[in-house]
Amino acid sequence: MMESALLHVTGLTKRFGGLIALNKVDLYQNADETIGMIGPNGSGKTTFVNCLTGYLRPEAGTIRFGDVQLTAVKPHRVAAAGLTRTYQAVRIYKELSGEDNIATALLEVTEQPQADELANMIEFVRLQDRLHVPAGSLTLFEQRRLELLMRLVQRPKLIMLDEPVGGLASTEVRQMIDLLQALKERCSIFVIEHTMKVIREIADRVVVLLAGEKIADGPPAEVLKDRRVVEQYLGGDDA
Amino acid sequence: MTASHNRHWVGLAAFAVFLAVLLLFLSGNRYLGFVAGITFIHILWACGMNLLYGYTGLMPMMFGGIAGISAYTTVNLLGQMSFWAAAPIGTLLAAAVGVVLGVPALRLRGFYFTLCALVIQQVISLGFIYFSSLTNGDTGISQIPPPEWFGGVLRGIDYTAFLAATAVAGIGILIWIVGSGLGRRFIAIREDDGLSETLGINVTRYKLLAFFIGSLFAGIGGALYAPYVGFISPRSFDVLVSLNIWLMVAFGGRGLIWGPVLGAALLAPLPFLMQDYYTLKAIVYGLLIIAVIILLPGGLLREIRFLRRSRPAGEEIAVEPQRVGETG
Repeated sequence: MMESALLHVTGLTKRFGGLIALNKVDLYQNADETIGMIGPNGSGKTTFVNCLTGYLRPEAGTIRFGDVQLTAVKPHRVAAAGLTRTYQAVRIYKELSGEDNIATALLEVTEQPQADELANMIEFVRLQDRLHVPAGSLTLFEQRRLELLMRLVQRPKLIMLDEPVGGLASTEVRQMIDLLQALKERCSIFVIEHTMKVIREIADRVVVLLAGEKIADGPPAEVLKDRRVVEQYLGGDDA
Repeated sequence: MTASHNRHWVGLAAFAVFLAVLLLFLSGNRYLGFVAGITFIHILWACGMNLLYGYTGLMPMMFGGIAGISAYTTVNLLGQMSFWAAAPIGTLLAAAVGVVLGVPALRLRGFYFTLCALVIQQVISLGFIYFSSLTNGDTGISQIPPPEWFGGVLRGIDYTAFLAATAVAGIGILIWIVGSGLGRRFIAIREDDGLSETLGINVTRYKLLAFFIGSLFAGIGGALYAPYVGFISPRSFDVLVSLNIWLMVAFGGRGLIWGPVLGAALLAPLPFLMQDYYTLKAIVYGLLIIAVIILLPGGLLREIRFLRRSRPAGEEIAVEPQRVGETG
């Protein structure tokens, strides 16, 4: 199982001064599974993604992605290896049109998608009529889909989504979940979410972080029933 | 690239014709010809500053100093070689220095790099005074010989015409860069360098490349300035010169091809026209800077176009965001 791992992280440790943000976190992900990461605010979820994508340099630990070592590698090299991420607060080039956002995402792609493939991807996120206006004037849901599209055109092996339904209305959450389900056909997904519906519906395995330590790792049905997880995180307000 | 971008080439052709006609009119007036030549050098400088500040979002406040390094190097080499050999050496040296001085921009963002660049500019200015064996210190170097040119020397209206051609070429190179993938990378870095890294762009490499190209503009302008004026001193390339060039870009419209050209064309002749009131010069510039920040945050050309445009923005936003926020 571990031999076929798409992503294999061992002993990842990150400190900010005296604070241990990540403490010896191990994680593996196979190419055919979707992992959900949950944990209270400040438990190190985004730090974990930042370390994996080259924005932070971990103090210890190794990151292997496919057969590439990604430990202490610059973000643009991580992208070149096929590992990409989105942001908790959506990040697109707001002053540029959707078309220019996509063109920018395609700059460093060696194998450019054909016109029909590109059209297919645009249709997949249903943005076909919305690409000529400045991206900043799109709705949040549209911006999130554009953000996703900009990763999709690069054909990554793994997308790490940082709270993809954050700030969306409940009908939009439903649509985003369906979109992410369909996205599984195109690449592997690692998703950080507070909305349990997303985790339950799309994750094959759930990892729980608490104060920088991994306290649980297993199928959603088991993990979300785990006494410690319920006490520390879910409490009474299970979404 | 796009149709709207291709329009710039038509604009450039029209501009070249305009300059040719202008030169015909100026050939009889040495003084106005000289003012025009200085303006052309500033148009070239404004293009380089625009590439860095307008398109890449970097604030190279040591721009004048870099131009000076090229000018002093060129003048010092004139004893050993012709101007046409010395100028490229001076320009390349200035560009190399520009890249090294751009390194802090990789760590310092926005305002902090601006401060750092201002300090660098002051250090360069002090260097021009201190290394007096090369620069003749505060006194400056005078009687710089004009370049030889097809058996004769390049001077007067011919030199001015050469500067006009250089300015046109500089604008052309900027149009070409902005329409290319390179320009797209610069704009991406200006808009969000973190996101650009995520999308696979080597931000370090392209920021330094921007400094290299921008400094080439500074260097070519500096090398051509020295024999044209015939005199250089540390004050020819001090912080006020850097601020001036920045003002031309901000006043005309940063991140637009023609905005900074307009800015340079309006502001570069100003000191000559105001020679009788030169004590007011600093006040006028101060007021202009404040006016730009408060009244024309997007620059003159962008404001004009904004007023003219009744339909919603969008079409041209690719290369020329309508009303950019703070690009730092």
